[in-house]
Amino acid sequence: MGSIEKIHEMLTTKQCSCAELTKSYLKEIEKSNGELNAYVNVTGDEALKTAAIVDEKIASGEQIGMLEGVPMTLKDNLSTKGIETTCCSKILKGYKPIYNATVWDILSKQNAVMLGKTNMDEFAMGSSCETSCFGGAANPFDTGHVSGGSSGGVASAVGANIAPYGLGSDTGGSIRQPASFCGIVGLKPTYGAVSRYGLIAYASSLDQIGPITKTVEDASIVFDAISKYDDRDSTSKGNVGGDTYSKLNNDIKGSKIGIAREYIDGVRDDVKNAVLNAAKVYESLGAEIVYFDLPALKFALPVYYIIACAEASSNLGRYDGIRYGYKTSHYNGTHDMICRTRSEGFGEEVKRRILLGTYVLSAGYYDAYYKKAQNLRGTIIKAFNNAFENCDIILAPTVPMTAFETGHAVSDPIETYLTDICTVPVNIAGLPGVSIPCGFNAKGMPIGMQLIGKSFNEATILNAAYKYQQAAPENFKDTKWGVKL
Amino acid sequence: MVTREDVENIALLSKLFVPEEELDGLTQSMQEIIDFADTINNAPTSGEAFDNINNLSNVFREDEVVESYSSEEILKNAPEQAENHFLVRNRE
Amino acid sequence: MKYELVAGFETHIELATKTKIFCGCTTRFGGEPNSHCCPVCIGLPGTLPKLNRQAVRYAIMAGLATHGEIAKISKMDRKNYCYPDLPKAYQISQLYAPLSIGGYVELSNGRKIRLHHIHIEEDAGKLIHRHGDTYVDYNRGGVPLIEIVSEPDIRSIDEAREYVEKLQQVMRYIGISDCKMQEGSMRCDVNISVRPEGTEKLGTRTEIKNMNSINNIARAMEYEFERQVDLIESGGKVVQETLRYDDATNTTSPMRSKEDAHDYRYFRDPDLVTINVSREEVEEIRASLPELPADKCRRYIDELGIPEKDAQLLTKYRKISEYFDAAREGVKSPKTVSNFIIGQIFRRTETESDKEVFDVSVTPEQLNELVKLLDSGKIRNNLAKSTLEKMLDSGKGALEFISESDMGGLDEETMITLCRQAIEENKKAVEDYRGGKEKALKALLGNVMKNSRGKADAAAAEAKLKEMIG
Repeated sequence: MGSIEKIHEMLTTKQCSCAELTKSYLKEIEKSNGELNAYVNVTGDEALKTAAIVDEKIASGEQIGMLEGVPMTLKDNLSTKGIETTCCSKILKGYKPIYNATVWDILSKQNAVMLGKTNMDEFAMGSSCETSCFGGAANPFDTGHVSGGSSGGVASAVGANIAPYGLGSDTGGSIRQPASFCGIVGLKPTYGAVSRYGLIAYASSLDQIGPITKTVEDASIVFDAISKYDDRDSTSKGNVGGDTYSKLNNDIKGSKIGIAREYIDGVRDDVKNAVLNAAKVYESLGAEIVYFDLPALKFALPVYYIIACAEASSNLGRYDGIRYGYKTSHYNGTHDMICRTRSEGFGEEVKRRILLGTYVLSAGYYDAYYKKAQNLRGTIIKAFNNAFENCDIILAPTVPMTAFETGHAVSDPIETYLTDICTVPVNIAGLPGVSIPCGFNAKGMPIGMQLIGKSFNEATILNAAYKYQQAAPENFKDTKWGVKL
Repeated sequence: MVTREDVENIALLSKLFVPEEELDGLTQSMQEIIDFADTINNAPTSGEAFDNINNLSNVFREDEVVESYSSEEILKNAPEQAENHFLVRNRE
Repeated sequence: MKYELVAGFETHIELATKTKIFCGCTTRFGGEPNSHCCPVCIGLPGTLPKLNRQAVRYAIMAGLATHGEIAKISKMDRKNYCYPDLPKAYQISQLYAPLSIGGYVELSNGRKIRLHHIHIEEDAGKLIHRHGDTYVDYNRGGVPLIEIVSEPDIRSIDEAREYVEKLQQVMRYIGISDCKMQEGSMRCDVNISVRPEGTEKLGTRTEIKNMNSINNIARAMEYEFERQVDLIESGGKVVQETLRYDDATNTTSPMRSKEDAHDYRYFRDPDLVTINVSREEVEEIRASLPELPADKCRRYIDELGIPEKDAQLLTKYRKISEYFDAAREGVKSPKTVSNFIIGQIFRRTETESDKEVFDVSVTPEQLNELVKLLDSGKIRNNLAKSTLEKMLDSGKGALEFISESDMGGLDEETMITLCRQAIEENKKAVEDYRGGKEKALKALLGNVMKNSRGKADAAAAEAKLKEMIG
C-alpha cells in the first residue's frame, strides 16, 4: 500500500485526525529541515486550516477523496496565490502570485494539505539543487550528497518522509533525476498531459509537471488527479491515455521491454549492472527484453541545451524589476535599472543559460543552432517512434551515476550537463518517463532506472514500475527521517 | 569562434552587465559550451520537421469578455507604483 | 538632378475584437490605468496565452480584402526585445508564417501598391514619462493588431495619402477596425528613400515613426524627402536609422539610443499551436465580406449611371453606401437618390467623422418613400426638395408634410381641367400665342401652376397646353 492510500485509510478509520497528522509532519519538518534544507517556505498555518476543514468533513460523516487531507508539497516554481513563489531566485523574492497554478487549483479544491514550498535549482536550471539562492537540499540517504535537481527539495522532502508526496517539474530530468538520487519514484508525464498554467517557465516546449512519491501507487494516484485538460494552456491535452490507477498490477507477460545500447554504454558500472538486473527481474515476470540502437540519442544533449536555453532566454526576459520581484536600489535610468536588477537578481548558472540562449537565437547563428536543433528534434522523435514499433517500454538508467557529493557539481558546466544525458531525450520527444529505485551502490546510495513509454501511455509504464516494485521491494528503502506511518 | 564582442553584444541583448574582469572568462566558458553545441553540426539532417509536440492546431478562445483583475491586485507585487501605474523612477 | 521618392508602409491596425488577443480582458479604450488587465496580459510568470479566434478571423478578412493569399499554415513567433511597455519582454507576433501573403491596394491612378504580408500580433502597454519618471499602464497591452507591410511601391506624397486612406476605408468597410489615427487604433511607420529619377537602385532608407494623422504623414514625408535630397546633393550619405516625427517643429530626429540593440531573435512561440486555415473557411469568410468600396464604386458607375465623382462620395464610408442602397430600393432613378444624399443630406453631415457615422434623422426608408412619390409623378422635384429639408429638420416622414390634395392632382383629368380653365381665363394670351407669340404661353402655364398649388409638373402642363390650343 502506498503512503497516500495508507493516510487515506488512517483518516477515514479515524486512527488519527488530519490536524494531528499535519502537525506531526510540521514537527518533523521543524526537526530536520535545518539539515535537509528541503523546504524554503513552510506554510503551517494554511496547512492546519485545511486540515481543520477536512476533519470537520470526517466528523460530519462526509466521504473524503483519496487526496483529501493528505499532506504534500509543491516545488517553488508552481504559482500559489498569496503564497511566496520564488523559483529559488533572488529575483523573485517576495513575489506572491495573484493566481493559482492549475495543478494547485485542482489539488487545493480537493483539500490537499500543503505543508510548504520546496527547494529547487534556481529557475529549475541545474542537476544538484545547488544553484538555489537558498542553498541546496541534502540527500536523505547521506546529507553529504546532493538531492539532485532541479526538483531537489521535493525529492529530499519525500525521501525523508517530511512530505508524503510532492509535485515537481521536469524540463530535462528535473523530476526523475532527483527521484533517482533520493531512492524514490518520479513521473515525468507526456507533454500536454498536465497543464503548465502557473508553472513558472524554464523551457516551455519541454516543461512538464509531475509527481514525486515514495511508491508507484502514489505516483499513479497523483497523476490521475492532476492530468486534466485545461483550457488556459493551449498545449494541454489532459489524460488522453485514461486512468492509470485501475490498471496497476496488470500482467506484463509478453510485454516487450527495449534497451537502447546508447543508454547503457558510458554509464557507470554499478548503474549499468543495476539496470541489467532489473531487466532480469522483468524477464522473470514474463517480459521479453529486446536490444536495439538509437543513434539519434548522441545529439540529444546539445539539442536539449540549445532549445532549452533559447526558450529560457526569452522566458526570463520579463524579470525587469517593474511588475514584481527584486529591484535594484541604485540605478540611473530605466535601462540601467533593468540591467542591474537582472545582473544582481539572477545567479551564475541562470545568466550563463540566458546568454547561451540569446547567442543561439541571434542573427547569424539561428540557423546553425536553433533551427538545426529543432530539425534534430524531429529526427529524435522519429527515432523513438521507430523504436516503439518493436517494444512497448524502453528501460534505461535515469542518471549515469549516483548522487554526487555536495559541492562537486558546480565546477564544470559541460560535465554537469552530461549528467542529464539519459533524461533529456524523453523531454525532447515529449514522452512519459518514470524513474524508480533499482538498487544501491557500494556506499549505499540509491540507483534509479527509468521506464519510458509511448505518448500518453503512462498506464503502461506505471504498471511496469508497479510490477517491479512488487518484485523487488528491497530497493524501495526508507530513510531514518520523518514521519513513520 | 565566440569573441569578447559577441559576449558583450549578447549581454546587451540579454540586459545583463558583464563586469570587464569577467569578460574573458565568460567568453572562454561560452566558447566551450558552443563547441559542445557544435556537435550537432555533425548530425545528419533529416526531413523530419518539428512543429509542436502533439501536432496540435487551431486551439482558440472565443471572443468573450472575462472580468479583469482590479488594478490594486495587478499592482500588488510592484516594487514601486503611483496613481495606479507601475513606476520606474529615473534616479534613486 | 531630380529625385524620386520611394516609400513603403508598415501599418498597425487595432482589431475591433471585444477581448484582447491572448486573454479575456476587454479592449475598451480608456478606463483607469491597469484596470483592464489580468495575470496573462501583464505577463506574470507561469501564465500562458490563448489565441482569440475572432482576431484570426479579422486578420483573414483584412487579407482577403486586400487580395492577399491566406496561408494554409500559420504560426505565432516571439519577437524578443526588452522595454517597460512589453511585460513579457517579447511580443507575440508572426515572422516565419504570417496569416496573409501578398496582395495589393489599388490607387485611383491605377497603380497597385503591393503588400508583402499581413500578420497578427499583440499591442504593447503605454508609457507616460513625467519628470524623468516612467509610469506604465498595461490596459492596451495585448490588444490585437494586424500589421500590414507594403512593398516600397509608393512614389509620391499623394500616393502615400491615398494608400493610407484606402486602407482605412477598406478596413472600416469590412468592420475589423475603426482605424482612428488620433486614438492610435491605426498607426503608420514609413520607410522612405530617394533616388535620382530614372534610376532603379534603391537608396538607403530611413524609417519614420510617431505620426498620428494623414496630414502629419504627408508633412513628415515631405520633410524627410527634402532632408535626404539635401544630404545627397551636399555630398553626404543617408544613414539607415529610425526617426521620430515631431509635429510641433515639423522635423524628424533619430529615435533609438544605442542602448536599444536591434536583434529580435524571433522564434516559434512554444506556448501556442499551429493555425490551420482550411480553404472552406477562407471561402466562407470571403463570402461573408461586404462588397468592397472599389467594387461598389465601379458598380454604381456602370450599373446605376452614377457619375464617378458622386460614386466615390457614396462609397467612401460603408454607412453612406448602405444608406444609399437602402434608399434606392425599387426607385426608377438611383441618381435622384444620390443627388438628394450628396446635395442635401451631406450639408447636414459636414465633417468626415459625421459622414463616417452617417447618423441621419431621415431614415433611408423615408427617403425611399419620398423618391417614389417623385417617381410616380405625384409630386414634383421642388416640392420633394423642400419636403426633404422639413424631414431632415424634424425626422418625420414625407407624408407629414404633403397633404392628399398636394398629390394625385396630376392625373390626366385634373390636368385637362386646369388647362381648360387657364385657356378660358386668358383668351388674350391664347390669341397672342396662336399669333406666333411663343412667350404668351408663359401666362397660361403660370395660371395652371397657380391653380394646381404648385403640384403640376411644368413640362407636362406646357405640353398639354400646346396640345389643346395648338
